[in-house]
Amino acid sequence: MYRIGIDIGGTFTDIAAVDENGRVVIAKSSSTPADPSEGLLEGLRVLAGELGLDRAELLARTERIVHGTTVATNALLESKGAKVALLTTEGHRDVIEMREGMKEDRYNVRMAPPVPLVPRHRRIGVKERLRSDGSVGTALTAESLKDAVEQVADLGVDAVAVCYLHSYRNAEHEAVTGDALAAALPDTYVSLSSEVLPQIKEYERVWTTVVNAYVGPVLSSYLSRLSAKLLDAGYSGEVMIMHSHGGVATIAESSRLAAGAVLSGPAGGIAAATHIARLIGEGDLITFDMGGTSTDIALLQGGEAQLTGEKQVGIAKVSLPTLDIHTLGAGGGSMARVAGAILHVGPESAGAAPGPACYGRGGTVATVTDANVVLGYLGAERFLGGRMALDSAAAEAALERLGAELGTSAVTAAEGVAKVVNTTMAEGIRIVSVRRGVDPRRFALVSFGGAAGLHVTEVARLLEIRRVVVPNVASVLSAWGMLASDLRHELVRSHVGEASTTSAAGLREVLLRMEEEGRARLDGFPGTVEVRRALDMRYGEQIFEITVPVDGVDLDAADLVEQVVARFHKRHEDLYSYHADGQEVVIVNARTTVIGKLPELQAAPLQPSTAEVAEPGSRRVHLDGWIDVPVHALDVLPPGSSIAGPALFESPTTTVLIRAGETATVTPHGWLDIDVPLRAGAER
Amino acid sequence: MVDPVTVSVVTHRFEAIVEEMGEAMLRTAYSQILNSSRDFSTAILDRDARLIAQAEHVPIHVGSLPWAVRAVIDQFGDNIRPGDVFLLNDPYHGGNHLPDLTAFVPIFDGGTLLFWAINRAHQSDIGGSTHGAYNPAATEIWQEGLRITPLKLHDAGEIRDDVITMIATNVRHQDEFLGDLRAMIGSAHVGERRVLAILEEYGADVVRESVDTILDSAERETRACIATWRDGVYTGESVLDDDGQGTEDIHVRATVTVAGDSLTVDLSDSHPQVKGFVNSSYPNMMSAVYMALTFLVDPRTPKNSGTFRAVDVIAKEGTVVWAKAPAPVTLATNHCAQEIAESVIKAMAQACPDRVIAGWGRRFRIAIKGVDPRTDRQFIWHLFHARPGAGASPVGDGWETAGEGQAMGSSKFGSVEVAETRFPLFFETHEFRPDSFGDGQFRGGAGSVLRLHMEIAEPAVANTAGEGVRHPSFGMLGGRDGLPHRYRLLSGDSERFLKTKEIDVPVLPGDVFLVESAGGGGFGPPEARSAEARAEDLRNGFVSGPESGPVSTTDSTREN
Repeated sequence: MYRIGIDIGGTFTDIAAVDENGRVVIAKSSSTPADPSEGLLEGLRVLAGELGLDRAELLARTERIVHGTTVATNALLESKGAKVALLTTEGHRDVIEMREGMKEDRYNVRMAPPVPLVPRHRRIGVKERLRSDGSVGTALTAESLKDAVEQVADLGVDAVAVCYLHSYRNAEHEAVTGDALAAALPDTYVSLSSEVLPQIKEYERVWTTVVNAYVGPVLSSYLSRLSAKLLDAGYSGEVMIMHSHGGVATIAESSRLAAGAVLSGPAGGIAAATHIARLIGEGDLITFDMGGTSTDIALLQGGEAQLTGEKQVGIAKVSLPTLDIHTLGAGGGSMARVAGAILHVGPESAGAAPGPACYGRGGTVATVTDANVVLGYLGAERFLGGRMALDSAAAEAALERLGAELGTSAVTAAEGVAKVVNTTMAEGIRIVSVRRGVDPRRFALVSFGGAAGLHVTEVARLLEIRRVVVPNVASVLSAWGMLASDLRHELVRSHVGEASTTSAAGLREVLLRMEEEGRARLDGFPGTVEVRRALDMRYGEQIFEITVPVDGVDLDAADLVEQVVARFHKRHEDLYSYHADGQEVVIVNARTTVIGKLPELQAAPLQPSTAEVAEPGSRRVHLDGWIDVPVHALDVLPPGSSIAGPALFESPTTTVLIRAGETATVTPHGWLDIDVPLRAGAER
Repeated sequence: MVDPVTVSVVTHRFEAIVEEMGEAMLRTAYSQILNSSRDFSTAILDRDARLIAQAEHVPIHVGSLPWAVRAVIDQFGDNIRPGDVFLLNDPYHGGNHLPDLTAFVPIFDGGTLLFWAINRAHQSDIGGSTHGAYNPAATEIWQEGLRITPLKLHDAGEIRDDVITMIATNVRHQDEFLGDLRAMIGSAHVGERRVLAILEEYGADVVRESVDTILDSAERETRACIATWRDGVYTGESVLDDDGQGTEDIHVRATVTVAGDSLTVDLSDSHPQVKGFVNSSYPNMMSAVYMALTFLVDPRTPKNSGTFRAVDVIAKEGTVVWAKAPAPVTLATNHCAQEIAESVIKAMAQACPDRVIAGWGRRFRIAIKGVDPRTDRQFIWHLFHARPGAGASPVGDGWETAGEGQAMGSSKFGSVEVAETRFPLFFETHEFRPDSFGDGQFRGGAGSVLRLHMEIAEPAVANTAGEGVRHPSFGMLGGRDGLPHRYRLLSGDSERFLKTKEIDVPVLPGDVFLVESAGGGGFGPPEARSAEARAEDLRNGFVSGPESGPVSTTDSTREN
């Protein structure tokens, strides 16, 4: 039986199928943004062809499809979501647009404010009020409810978000409102904050609930269309959707909690990195995913990626637990500019249109990719496996112009672009590491994304990172990684109270109730279920909580509360280098992760290639002067071979450069495992 | 001459270093004033007190650190050694106001002093006669807190516990203070380590030459921008309500000369210094002028000493913008800093009309001290909510509730749910204040309206610190002024208008604060506003009726 991972990107739909033995077969089709399910079905046909089957036969032999989708992401970023109304506590309808008093980019004072997802006239104050202890201050009367529902009906919206103050403490008013809306407007998508994110802090909760309402109708209609098409095509197995937390969920759950899928696409890459960590036996990884406009980085520690509740997606704040992926504004398409005497690269990008000058689509500004062409790193005839010829004369001309501004040659300017972008990325990674409290030197760098291979070892050298891994499934890495994910439900409940007045029985009950709810969401899942718990805690006077894992603490212990408090002090010490024993400790949120373990993904060692090992070609490149370096075909290198730099490796989707002193070893899976020596005098 | 690529790489390294110093600070600072509102700055300067790079945390800290380095050099001369750490806060010795402590680590190449790594951070308390570092009653700086002239905290690697203990003993929260101080020093040491790595990689000569080019480059960028502005002599004026000690309508007046690619800002004609704490120190005045400059040029322009070479500042000691000791100055990082920046921006309306902006709302906060009946514990709560609106710009409306004008939307207010959980407060209403902004082609951002019930069982007291109940956010180039703040305390049937600099206001159980904060000023003539925008404002309730424009004069709200 097959498992199939599908990642739909802006240009291509990537598909990876894995059989019981871990053999991977990949296929690509063109994406069809108007209805992505068309490109998906076409991709399945291509894949079946690769396996010598027709699509119905392939689907009959498939037990699970895991799908990463940008439908929710695009709806949000391109403002193509549903027409939403917001019901909220009277007197508090502007929380979402007050933005906690913040404005981006403080020195940029000539900047128009963003258009709100829900304009003020669709934000309706409802006469009701809960108190901070959950008691009812102002009851929600039948009359005010009726009035609110009528206003919603008059607005003619596709979706309604409901977010009342303190509803994390008492969900009754929201539940009654949800019932009334469902009864009066059965076709309207309803999103209740007490179901989406029952967590204190209204700004995060209202945003997340509104995003859920905004993308929910779009995602759920796509998913039901997809299910129907797959059924027609002969598929009767499971369809799982990749979520922003790195796990997967069913179609029903994904339709309900659509806001959890806004980073579905990038999550596949991190799922892959998690799997790579297991395969290479190195749990501390930094992913380096360099694309056209930006570079995504994420830290894995002990083989696990961290989650954050602070994710910003465009103007939206989504506070569901989300993989902590950081985006740097530098990629292959980043444009170079000279300000005064200083060369800058990015964050402005040439994008796909006009793109870098060498794409020959009218771009004239020098980009990182143009610099790589001028330096000889990218073969003009062999870019993307020869699918796209590069105009090296246009790249040369763009770098000439940049050089003239700097008072130097095109080649020196190209070197400058490479050095500046490498510095920017290395410093970006360093700052993200410091923010997470880790020293990047003990990590390995995992390179993916088309543009990464030419920069990754230099970035590693600048960070004093010794090991770089380039997996050769990079082109469908996300699709492949999705197959390694488990079913996952992240639950949170605010449970605010001082530790000193919290009873072990009360805390136990909250945690057990969440576990029960999570297990129920797994809906009869037959496999192994893993439960993880954590508490968000702070010292009495602090504003921010930290998440303290409490796995392994015995819930039945009489000193349960004391044990979690001890964990908190320790965690605080680890993160902030101090703790305060005497201070009052407050528990704010309880978190439970319920994981349905799916059978582990196998990764087969490479089949000995039947193709002759090709003699390497050669190319003249600029590395502190022009030299000829060998060019290896990445896909046919025999496992175990070891190649010393300088050298280039080419595949249809990427080019990798190693420099003098660096050595690449080919792993059993056909990946490059590169040793980067420390430069002399580096800190140890 | 160092090649342009090396200079560029060194620039980006310095920019990253100050950012990394900031991250280190965020992670280790004890008090959450620092790691939530990020009220601190990190910077690298050279031995000639030239600012090379400064992290973009607090606009009003920009560019003032050279005076701090000079104060250390004046005090210690040649007695600056590897392993030293210096500290100061005194506004008459290189500081801007007492709550901002500045920690310095000198960076040496061999035995030669080359650079300084610096952290300046706002403390939640700095001693003095009131809690929380803002004392509206102060008439002398000694009432505002502990004055620290430049001193050594570490002497050639030896930590001077005697000095640290003495300082910590003079502030209210010792643990927090010591934790923050450690974080500041740690952050400066991060900067030192990273600068040493650059020195090792490129050598001192290359780095020093690169710094010259970096500063020249920023100067060139700034001057190229100024050169596009219309030459002339322009004046602008911004007025403070009062100093809380009986002086009203305190003006700051800027005469700005644009000549080719240079600016001269003359503040000499400003009001004489006053008794209350709205006076500015010299470094704070310079920072306020630089802040105005950074708003006028391209926001991507580096903020270093090269940038600031393009402007000459003339001022007279003994005026409100440059007070003589021992005048109190604590509010000055807000007011009169905002008025200094505003007077410069207003002056430039005719010189660069596509770059100036309308006025932002002013700071007006309340601190309440009482007892929480649910726990019988004392609480102190600061009003960070009910933000005023931002000023409109040539490209669009002002951002709603993004003010105060000295932070420019960089300071967050907290959750209402958390505030109600932790304090005996009930937020009946916290929404936009309709009609509060100035009309214009682009309107100002809305201020807020807050109805806050005090759920206390015994009397509490409130202090206020702020500005702007009489003077509103100004309109620009035909745009109208917004409404000023109007804060009231409702107690039974009586109503008290709150002034901006009061102490010990009695607050009784059941009292309600009715806070209406200022809207931002409008930009451009109201006739030029599109019909669509007006229809949207009406539909969204930003204006209460088709004819109800915001009131453009201040007299109607002059009840207090």
